[in-house]
Amino acid sequence: MAERERGERRGKGEGRGFRRRGMGRRKVCRFCADKTMLIDYKDSRVLGTFLSERGKIIPSRITGNCASHQRHLTLAIKRARTVALLPFTAAYP
Amino acid sequence: MADRRYETLVLLHPDLGEPGAKELAERVKKLIEDQGGTVGQVQEWGLRELAYLIAKQRRAFYVLFEYRSTSKALLEIERNLKLMDRVLRFVSVRQAENAPPTPPRPAAARRPEREEPEFEGAAEFEGLNEEVS
Repeated sequence: MAERERGERRGKGEGRGFRRRGMGRRKVCRFCADKTMLIDYKDSRVLGTFLSERGKIIPSRITGNCASHQRHLTLAIKRARTVALLPFTAAYP
Repeated sequence: MADRRYETLVLLHPDLGEPGAKELAERVKKLIEDQGGTVGQVQEWGLRELAYLIAKQRRAFYVLFEYRSTSKALLEIERNLKLMDRVLRFVSVRQAENAPPTPPRPAAARRPEREEPEFEGAAEFEGLNEEVS
């Protein structure tokens, strides 16, 4: 829906509802797109891609994950942290 | 009492050395069985780098146990794990009955890192999360 009116078509219609800022492509939840991709706390390689450099969980608003997968992801990351597979904060020197 | 599917990932002290870690893993396995659990797969990941220091250690032996037991037995298993001072840490998770077993790890042979999908705006995210509406 948001796709429909973006970019050049804006012109004068100022108050015409929500418009995406900029012209990024729509983000799709990676776990919905690839059903074989499971969220597992032991899989630090996948989980690590959802951490910022400081070790913080990247919000779904940036990754584009759907709410349900983001919840599962968050839980998995927290589990992985308790067994030191992932850092709580940036790695120690 | 219904038995459920669990898995426990245990971190063993690096000073045990390879044989010591194996021995302790065997003891943990026996502990689970003594509590009436049936152990399926046991995975030894070997000495692994920790993401942060635990008990002043940089590394630990990771051992994963997959088993079935009752929830009561799990509590008892966890209580005993806490008493073992060579166990740095552990986490127990209940697995769905239909979940596939954990695939074996490619031992130490780390696959080349997958191309990291950089999320748009991930860089900007640092530090400005407070001001986002």
